[in-house]
Amino acid sequence: MTDGPESDRSCPGAFARAWAKAVSGTSYLPMTQAQLEALLHRLTGRLAEALRSEPFDQRIGQQVGAELVAAHIASAEGLGRTVEVIQLRLLRDLGLVADDGEDRMARLLATVATGYARALRDRTLDEQESIRRAAMVARAQAERALRDSEARFRHQANHDPLTGLPNRALLTERLTAAIAGRGADRVGVCFLDLDRFKVINDSLGHQIGDLLLVAVGERLRQAVGEHLVARLGGDEFVILVERSGGADDVVRVAETALAAVRRPAVVAGHELTVSASIGIVEQPVDGTTPGELMRAAGSTLHWAKAAGGARWSVFDADRNERELARYALSAAIPAALERGEFLLDYQPLTSLRDGAVLGMEALVRWRHPQRGLLRPDAFIGLAEETGLIVPLGGWVLAEACREAAGWGDGSAPAPFVSVNLAVQQVRRPGLVDEVRGLLRRTGLPPERLQLELTESTMMSTAEEPVRALRVLADLGVRIAIDDFGTGYCNLAYLRGLPVTELKVAGEFVTGLRAPEPASRTDERILASLVSLAHALDLTVTAEGVETAEQADRLRAIGCDAAQGWHFGRPGPAARHLTRSPALSGTPAR
Amino acid sequence: MQRPDWAPDTIDIERPSAARMYDYYLGGSHNFAPDRAAARAMMAAVPEAPLMAQANRAFLRRVVQYLAESGVRQFLDIGSGIPTVGNVHEIAQRVAPDSRVVYVDVDPVAVAHSREILAGNDGATVIQEDLRRPAAILAHPEVTRLLDFSEPVAVMIVAVLHFVAPEDRPAEVLRTLRDALAPGSHLVLSQASDDGRDGTGERAEAERVYRRTDSQLWFRGRRDLVDLFDGFDLVEPGVVWVPQWRPESPESVEDAERAVFMGGVGRLS
Repeated sequence: MTDGPESDRSCPGAFARAWAKAVSGTSYLPMTQAQLEALLHRLTGRLAEALRSEPFDQRIGQQVGAELVAAHIASAEGLGRTVEVIQLRLLRDLGLVADDGEDRMARLLATVATGYARALRDRTLDEQESIRRAAMVARAQAERALRDSEARFRHQANHDPLTGLPNRALLTERLTAAIAGRGADRVGVCFLDLDRFKVINDSLGHQIGDLLLVAVGERLRQAVGEHLVARLGGDEFVILVERSGGADDVVRVAETALAAVRRPAVVAGHELTVSASIGIVEQPVDGTTPGELMRAAGSTLHWAKAAGGARWSVFDADRNERELARYALSAAIPAALERGEFLLDYQPLTSLRDGAVLGMEALVRWRHPQRGLLRPDAFIGLAEETGLIVPLGGWVLAEACREAAGWGDGSAPAPFVSVNLAVQQVRRPGLVDEVRGLLRRTGLPPERLQLELTESTMMSTAEEPVRALRVLADLGVRIAIDDFGTGYCNLAYLRGLPVTELKVAGEFVTGLRAPEPASRTDERILASLVSLAHALDLTVTAEGVETAEQADRLRAIGCDAAQGWHFGRPGPAARHLTRSPALSGTPAR
Repeated sequence: MQRPDWAPDTIDIERPSAARMYDYYLGGSHNFAPDRAAARAMMAAVPEAPLMAQANRAFLRRVVQYLAESGVRQFLDIGSGIPTVGNVHEIAQRVAPDSRVVYVDVDPVAVAHSREILAGNDGATVIQEDLRRPAAILAHPEVTRLLDFSEPVAVMIVAVLHFVAPEDRPAEVLRTLRDALAPGSHLVLSQASDDGRDGTGERAEAERVYRRTDSQLWFRGRRDLVDLFDGFDLVEPGVVWVPQWRPESPESVEDAERAVFMGGVGRLS
């Protein structure tokens, strides 16, 4: 193919402009229109070169196709319009004429389309590969970030933010694993708590308290860090001895830990010396659970604290058993009250002058569904510790008043009922109203009710409760001091109290049985007590009188009344009421 | 367990990505089948979609060319998407090789792809962040490493603001960015606009398509865009259909509103 005779009419610029217009908008072209036209102008030259080549050079058309794609004229429309514009205008605009023009044009278009399609396919595959790779990289990064965040999250979930030590969750996990038996046969736990940590918090502030906890945590980690050291919260730390060879191993760990805590610590300029207590549990992993082990360690820690602190205690299953039983018993009191499992026995207070039953002391019994009839010493102490003495004592008082109201047939003065009051009952503000209400409801005359308070209750009683007792005494209610002589009560103090009777503790009476001369001393003490009491206008009842000889000697001293096996064992009121006063001087069986 | 809010997202390429759909409109193959399906659905609803993308991309090219020739050497391109052809750093560094560009995108695949493209280019980098967290973008170590905010910076928010809902307070986002900029800095905005298109139903259809993707569409009118340039002096010709912004040839301005995108450039004095 040659330039035609009218080659002066060759106008590649016009063709390039037409081409540029045709492909504009077929895809995004990152260039100006002028840049595009310049590019296509150059490619127009290449197309002309291909048409003229002899023999026909396929490569040129293919290169043009590839160059179009490389210049981002890279879409199906871009190719279609390129084919169209070449076919329609190229020969004319370039002024080319040839016999085999059509033939050459067809071959040129085929090569351009081939080069174009090949380049577009490669480019598409490259881009697909590159975006796929980017997605994989992004996914790998996201997964790594997720793992990192999970590790971080897990660490946060398992560690105490203040000290950085493992927390309760991690301790429980490790303890569970240790018990599941993947490690050794025995496991040990040291439950550590700082002694009087609250004082530091209260006096120096929580910030110093927190710093001290951090310091203690760090020391424990340094001293016994081969074991898991966890902080449960507050000032409670736990050292888990996962492979224990025996209690001695764990005791050694506890002693190391105590020594580490004991060293003075400088915290924010304060030199602080703290001690700690440790409860130790060491046992075979078989047959225990993490919960049981931690509860046992907690109880043992309390033993160490109760023994004065700054020490360790080792768990004792028997002691724990007893404490648990006691706890269970006290927990059962409210339900037992509801079910009516309590009942009252009475023991007579007998006149030493004429043998008349002056009064009867109400003694509470618990008909426990499993454990049988329980005496007060099995549960009253517990009830006092837990505060359950208030409802229980209230029931006793009400029941005693109710029963006593029915005593006597009117022929002789009926005996009074004597009821023990615990210190918590005395301190309650509603005592006067309670007693008044009871007397009104039961119809029991006030002088037939005696309230027994121990010496220590009396001594520890503040002004307000004393006023209440005085109101009751003014009503006519008798107030007795129980177990007199065992505490530190003095008679001068007694003078200011609304008391009507002293009940002398059984210890003094027991002495009356002993051979001389020891019994002489007790007798003299008793005699002085009686005469002093009489001087204060108080009557005296001796407790724990078991023999006729004791009764005789008490009578000789001038003691007013007596209580004890010699005069009648505790039992239903009716048993004592039916006894004739004439017989009351003889022992009741 | 509740996952904390700093836990990363997972990559879900089954979900159409606005960035990869945009690449498809531009004729690229940096996209997956779900992206192409969504893009075709968009094109069925709004046949001009590819034209819009191309016109917007051309607007970006002319703006960067203009800014680079005006002496701006620092660019913060937020919502940069899939780097295909005619990226900001290519244009800017052709004018001034020392130009520095930080790309920002929320799409982790787009970011990974950008990172690969930019490997070996000391003057350009990419971070994964969200336009809606401008303070985090400004404080990002890569941003502070590459850009000096005591010197003019061009903040480019091109074809991305329509993914920011009104409740995400775009005006506040822009204020935060503006407050970090030195005099002589520029703000470049473009976004889909429904000015003069009321009632064609195209808008609703387009919004419906994008609800399937990772981004929702929020159209704004010219007035809204002008307001968003608060504090900047608009460079001539102001906020216009993107083909009308300093066109290279008169014919490219024909039917300019078919480009759907409006844009403009503001300068901080």
